[in-house]
Amino acid sequence: MSAATTTRRTASSGTERRPKEAGRPQAGGSTMDRQRRKLLVPFVGPAFIFYTALFIIPAIGAAWISLHKWAGSGPMTFVGIENYLRVFRDPLFLKSFGNTLLLLFVVGAAIFILAFAMTLVLRDMAGKKIVRSVIFFPHLINALVFGVLAGFIFNPGGIVNTLLAPLGVQNPPAWLAQDNIFPLIMATLVATTTGYFTTILMAGVDRIPPYYYEDCALAGATPFQRLRYVILPLTWDVFGTCAVLWTISSIKIFEIIWVFGGSSGAGIPPTQSWTTAVYTYVTAFSGQSTPAYGAATASAIISLALVSVLVVVLRRAMRRDAVEF
Amino acid sequence: MNSKSRIVQALAVLAGASLALTACGQGSASTAPSEGGTLTYWSMWKDGEPQQKVIAEAIADFEQQTGATVKVQWQGRSNTEKLVPALNTNNVPDIVDGPYAKLATTMGDTGQALPLGAAYDTVVDGKKVSELVPAKYTAISNIKGEDGTPWMLPYSLSSDAIWFDAAKHPELVANPPADWNGFIAELDKLKAAGETPLAADGDVAGYNALWFTTALIRTEGPGSFKTLASDKTGAGWDAPKVLAAAQKVEQIAKGGYLVPGYDASKWPAQQQVWASGKASLILNGSWLPTETSTYAAEGFQYSSFPFPAIDGKPAAVRADFIGWAVPKKAKNPGLAQQLAAFMLNKKYQDDYGTKAKVLPIRADAASAPQMDSVKKALDNATTVYQGGDGVTYAGYMEKVFWPIDDQLFLGKISAAEFVAKMKDAQVQYWKDNG
Repeated sequence: MSAATTTRRTASSGTERRPKEAGRPQAGGSTMDRQRRKLLVPFVGPAFIFYTALFIIPAIGAAWISLHKWAGSGPMTFVGIENYLRVFRDPLFLKSFGNTLLLLFVVGAAIFILAFAMTLVLRDMAGKKIVRSVIFFPHLINALVFGVLAGFIFNPGGIVNTLLAPLGVQNPPAWLAQDNIFPLIMATLVATTTGYFTTILMAGVDRIPPYYYEDCALAGATPFQRLRYVILPLTWDVFGTCAVLWTISSIKIFEIIWVFGGSSGAGIPPTQSWTTAVYTYVTAFSGQSTPAYGAATASAIISLALVSVLVVVLRRAMRRDAVEF
Repeated sequence: MNSKSRIVQALAVLAGASLALTACGQGSASTAPSEGGTLTYWSMWKDGEPQQKVIAEAIADFEQQTGATVKVQWQGRSNTEKLVPALNTNNVPDIVDGPYAKLATTMGDTGQALPLGAAYDTVVDGKKVSELVPAKYTAISNIKGEDGTPWMLPYSLSSDAIWFDAAKHPELVANPPADWNGFIAELDKLKAAGETPLAADGDVAGYNALWFTTALIRTEGPGSFKTLASDKTGAGWDAPKVLAAAQKVEQIAKGGYLVPGYDASKWPAQQQVWASGKASLILNGSWLPTETSTYAAEGFQYSSFPFPAIDGKPAAVRADFIGWAVPKKAKNPGLAQQLAAFMLNKKYQDDYGTKAKVLPIRADAASAPQMDSVKKALDNATTVYQGGDGVTYAGYMEKVFWPIDDQLFLGKISAAEFVAKMKDAQVQYWKDNG
């Protein structure tokens, strides 16, 4: 990706220069430009080939499959956009889609509010380096671990209820009831992801020269005003990148849901906690019924379209002139 | 090969990748040369499992006796998921094993499995394989292909039963409940004695579904659930017998027999509760003794009785096959069938029963004492049926039946509401999938 971006920039800067170079006697620009063009193919080529073979062709293949009724092998029947209509008519898909949006917006909002709050506290805190490592730590642990731990912690005879009993709680909530699993997953995601984004935001905050803070102090700004007028404008590009990262990763969230309510292999999660990723997986690979690859790819393509639209909208909405400092 | 099928193949290979959810590469070792004596075998067992040890031993003997080379990949339970994309290429294994439900949906129903006439005709221990596999199992028509020849050769069975600790409840060994009312009376008796009568891992939809499907099959016979699920008008759900079966589930769910919190726990928490002696009975598969052996209470003696009879009808028994299938594209189908037949030798079937402690397919094979009660029920049964009554309609179980059945078994809706919801959902399902 980064190689492609760099070379794209190189290529475009080459084009911009062309009019100036047209007046020169040697066709094809300066030696440096020629050299650059010569390197275009060997540098871009491999990335382009891999990207096309591994991402673009499969995506086109998936789009093609989504127009068929197909069990993964054997005959394919062309059904046009029927799979898409079917998926949109399916209340379960709409529910899964709603859950995906809940993760994206509600969990996303919680993560960034907490992350900004933590950057405010962490900047002036003693031992902030240790604290930063500690809050980043949950992100290093595979989501599967939290899913498996959920059983130990929240089972009727689990740690939480055992701890609550001496406090006089006779009828603790049914933590792992089908309707409660999704809120638990949301809370877990907030807890595990906040540290990650706090760390990235802190890197942006650390770049801000200290004299702005001194200025704030002299002007008697409150911490909130400091956030509003100094930190946010100066870390806006970092925040924008984080928002895009979260959008992309939230739509792919799968494994934590699969193991949180998925009985670690003996079953599938209750439909109340499905996201579009889980819906796609169950439709294609449940192992209990004839695979419906067409409907599964249709659902995957819808997710892809959703991510693309959201990323474009987000980038538009967050576009600001970069503040030079 | 025409260009269209080439495109389809290319797309098919990429399909798995584009879904981007399982990293299921198709294993490079499958590119075996098509010499006479080499086989590729994708197994559902993992290295070190008791069943794997038996199969590995049989394969070693087979190689020694025939001079063939068998390249085994112990892939684990996801072998069929890996098989699907492979079937669209020319790199297919020569033989795979797995439970019926998975092989049927990936190979049997899609016409990708070879009819195993040659294996069924092979003579093993002086008898044809077709005679070694009890007729009542092969009579379940859905392992037969279009030409009437079975495409699957089973080597073991899984079944289900209501399990208990015979050391604690010897009276249930001698006098198991004769029918549904007797069963409820037993539950009431256990409750009155201060025990928790039933355990259930309510988060496993497949286990919850056993109650309704078995209750229905008890009165209406094998195939009745499949008929019900296949009804595009949904009218089948109006039948009084269907409501009666649902009411039995409601009776269990709302009768206060189950371990408190069964509706908010995570497998295997509740079967652990049962195995540690804190609940008396559990409806579960024949794999339960193997699965719970590590945490069972000291002196625990596994025993079971079949799901009780209802209305005095003869009890059919669930028998799910685990067995082999050969893809049509296999490079060495003859040798693959030879291997499958060879592994049905009594020696390996006995090992299956006594070492792996599962139910071998041959009626004359030895079995472990834990399996006595289940084996007796299977041997005595005149008819058998498959788990979920062989319903494999795309997404029907996962998206239609299980979610609504869960609500019934977890005590959220009544039997009448269950029947009404199922009817609506099924009509919609067939409108979309008909």
